[in-house]
Amino acid sequence: MIITKKKDFQELYENIKGYRSFFLLGCSECATLCGTGGEPELKELKETLEGLGKEVTGTFVAKTGCQVLGTKVELKPFKEAIDRAECIIVLSCGAGTQTAVELYEDKPVYPANDSLFLGNMTRFQFFDERCSLCGKCILDKTGGICPITTCPKGLLHGPCGGMKDGHCEVSPELQCAWVRIYERMKRLNKLDELREFIMEPKEWSKAQKPRSHYEKKEKAKKVTAK
Amino acid sequence: MTFREKLESGKFVITAEVGPPKGTDITEMVHHIELLKGKVDAINITDNQSAVMRMNSLSGCVICLQHGVEPILQVTCRDRNRIGLQSDILGAYVLGVRNILCMTGDHVSAGDHKDAKPVYDIESVGLIKTVQGLNNGKDLSGTDLKGKTDFYIGAVVTPEANPLEPQLMKFEKKIRAGAKFFQTQAVYDMERLKEFMKFARQYPVKIIAGLVVLKSAGMANFLNTNVPGIRVPQELIDELKSAGKEKALDTGLNITARHIRQIYEEKICDGVHVMAIGMEDKVPVILERAGLL
Repeated sequence: MIITKKKDFQELYENIKGYRSFFLLGCSECATLCGTGGEPELKELKETLEGLGKEVTGTFVAKTGCQVLGTKVELKPFKEAIDRAECIIVLSCGAGTQTAVELYEDKPVYPANDSLFLGNMTRFQFFDERCSLCGKCILDKTGGICPITTCPKGLLHGPCGGMKDGHCEVSPELQCAWVRIYERMKRLNKLDELREFIMEPKEWSKAQKPRSHYEKKEKAKKVTAK
Repeated sequence: MTFREKLESGKFVITAEVGPPKGTDITEMVHHIELLKGKVDAINITDNQSAVMRMNSLSGCVICLQHGVEPILQVTCRDRNRIGLQSDILGAYVLGVRNILCMTGDHVSAGDHKDAKPVYDIESVGLIKTVQGLNNGKDLSGTDLKGKTDFYIGAVVTPEANPLEPQLMKFEKKIRAGAKFFQTQAVYDMERLKEFMKFARQYPVKIIAGLVVLKSAGMANFLNTNVPGIRVPQELIDELKSAGKEKALDTGLNITARHIRQIYEEKICDGVHVMAIGMEDKVPVILERAGLL
């Protein structure tokens, strides 16, 4: 999921203090799980703004805030409330914020959160970055552990000289990604595979921004074993 | 005889390390180069070591050449992408540099520009392969070069890495990628170095043992606690301690000299690399005490 963090209120307030009325938009997916854009957070922000003498014309938690068309349909019943608001505050990730920008061309839209990374929730509201969306997955070569993301240097061939007692010099609390990969491949009896393989330099062209992706709908072909 | 010819013909080599200045005043650097001239076979010029911004390695190498000392260009992958690296490496060759040490490079978080964007477009193994490609007349995209390089390709290895196995895997990959010589992270335990060399001797590469002078027991403890891949045995720490504060440095110089002598006499490695870190002027003393001057 996309991990988000609430902005310091003062920072948000600096952006919106000139407006009098607001519509608040959350998201039921990642932001809700992160505790940054669900019902409780919308309620909290609404009360804070009202406490400062501002008006909140409406609030809504979109099902999937990054789904532009779905969100557009969901927001139809809120047309009047949104029209009345001078400004929209989005409590989700940067993608969700830009959905609102796309839907409301003439209205200022401000983010309430900072978008941090794509990660896994490893404990309740405790998140670790696991994938860099680099465009060319190498998990098949590294025992399912991503060194592009979990090694600060994104190394492809083994630990660097900064590894100390199995840990990372850059973040000592972190286990060295390459020691983990090595140990896992050893457990899976695949060390020879790991040793033999020299990876080609990463194809960063696959991560050239901004990326678009469109999967053509083809007639489902039956996969038959040869 | 060049550094490469000496190593490849089996002569015991001595290298030392000189760091470029932070700024444009090269007086001290030139002084160190002059001091080491004739006493070492080549000088490594560091590349923004510890991620601290300094004058670049290539300029340092050219200054070395101007003073009649053969340089080893240290190249890290932290600050330049594959275009920048190849371009600088071609330039280095044209300017007369023939030895290159390929490294990944310390992370920017270790240095003095912590908000810099670390690059690591390629890394040590990829860089070795890249230089091997330039030697074969092709750049990383496979395009033919107009005039190829002929670098003697070096890399680094950490014999005291813990755990060691993944490090050895990387060592093997560096060899397969094209590394011909290795300079090691600082080693202090000669018995463990011999163990490492038993493994390394399976491969047709030259190994130069890295040595860092211990200035005090405090420094030894600091290295043990803070520097990955360095392990100073307790008996050396005790030796420094019992020497007392005034004689600690002298004892440290003796330890390095003793190790050099042992590595040379027992043919443990193919050479030694003395990293004096600010005490370049002591290198001749060490070599003299080791009986190699």
